[in-house]
Amino acid sequence: MKRLLFLIFIIFLSSCQALPQMLPQTLPMINSPVSSTDQKAFACPYPFLKEKYRLVHAVETRMAGDTRGTIIGVTVADPSTRSVSCAIMTAEGMTLFEAESSQGELKVNRALPPFDSADFAKNMIDDIKLIFFAPEGKPRIKGNLPDGAAVCRYSEENGGWIDVSFNKSGGTEIKRYSSSGILRRQIRFNKTAKNIYQRIELQAHEQFNYSLLMTLLEAQPVKSKVLQTKSLRNTQR
Amino acid sequence: MKIYRNLYIFVCIAAGVFFVFSPQIYAGTNAFEKLRKESANLKTLQANFEQKKSMKILSRPLVSEGRFYYAAPDSIRWEYVKPVRSIVIAHNNSTKRYIDSDGKMVENKMGGAQAMNIVLNEITGWINGRFVQNLSFTAVIHEGTNTMITLTPVGQGMAGFIKKIEIVLSGKAATVKSVKIIEDADSFTQINFKNVEINNTINPSVFQDVK
Repeated sequence: MKRLLFLIFIIFLSSCQALPQMLPQTLPMINSPVSSTDQKAFACPYPFLKEKYRLVHAVETRMAGDTRGTIIGVTVADPSTRSVSCAIMTAEGMTLFEAESSQGELKVNRALPPFDSADFAKNMIDDIKLIFFAPEGKPRIKGNLPDGAAVCRYSEENGGWIDVSFNKSGGTEIKRYSSSGILRRQIRFNKTAKNIYQRIELQAHEQFNYSLLMTLLEAQPVKSKVLQTKSLRNTQR
Repeated sequence: MKIYRNLYIFVCIAAGVFFVFSPQIYAGTNAFEKLRKESANLKTLQANFEQKKSMKILSRPLVSEGRFYYAAPDSIRWEYVKPVRSIVIAHNNSTKRYIDSDGKMVENKMGGAQAMNIVLNEITGWINGRFVQNLSFTAVIHEGTNTMITLTPVGQGMAGFIKKIEIVLSGKAATVKSVKIIEDADSFTQINFKNVEINNTINPSVFQDVK
């Protein structure tokens, strides 16, 4: 019986070793932290919005490598106030989801299945903020990842971490890790496109992994009403 | 609820072309009967369409373009070419939806094919003059220079998605000119049809091949 248990234990261990890809990615070490003098000169990658923008993307959902469906996503994001309005619709024009987040408050105006779960709105707004807004606060660590990519690491209030990196081949990435250092989100921006938001890939590492491939359809800066009024007055003069 | 979502998609399609031929007879019975008679000889129908989606979040409408095909008794192809390519094909009691993925058309696996079949069976029944009671909408016809049919959801389920649908028919031909699907005060979809061709030959491959 003991031999059998030992055999099962060995098989279990060897089977775990045979599936390294199943292990979640964890927070990597920053190999070569730059000195405090160099840190000031170190420019953190900044793939984030600098002004209020309206973006329309075709969003392709993939699970286990298979395309599941495509929806159209509209985002209005204002980095100065960190406010977000967003909507999801079908190609046929049906509005499936509408929500807005401002000053920490989330308001869901419309949510049809499968977008009506309790966590969906919060997760979606969190993902939009992760893509378009710079992490709050200053980077805790600047340096290089083991693959040589330049990285700035930010800490989050909940104990999690955000890495914003720029690799040698010109790709920009954002990675969000949980407080225990497990990779939860990975965002890649297209390095060749003129607009960095032309093609965005978001990989979510959850109970069921999924990825979103976002292709830009429209992008336009949004002027605030005050600015618009001023510019109208100037034009009239 | 998923069924209602898929119903919506097909209501958009159905409203565009088919409701005009067979709405529920709650008002204007003679006018509906006249439309039904006019549609009796319909064998094929094809048209280009431009769809404008208006919402509070959009500063200007999101414009989509595509083409619609119908062949009696029950073949439909509803194809968007811009800005996102997608195709719904109903043929031989099978309904499939395809979407563009990296330049290839792949089948949408989000489900709902059963609901699509239910709706399409109902639509083809209407086209063929089988006027079964439709519990989803009340239809009212307004005759004028352009005839307008207003469809209002009857049940709570569809009412949560659509406030009403307005279908405008062009002149004597009684072909659809535009469809407006109103979701709420801030959100609506306007579909304008143009280059409508009736009873012109359509290659059968249109309902079989996804190119």
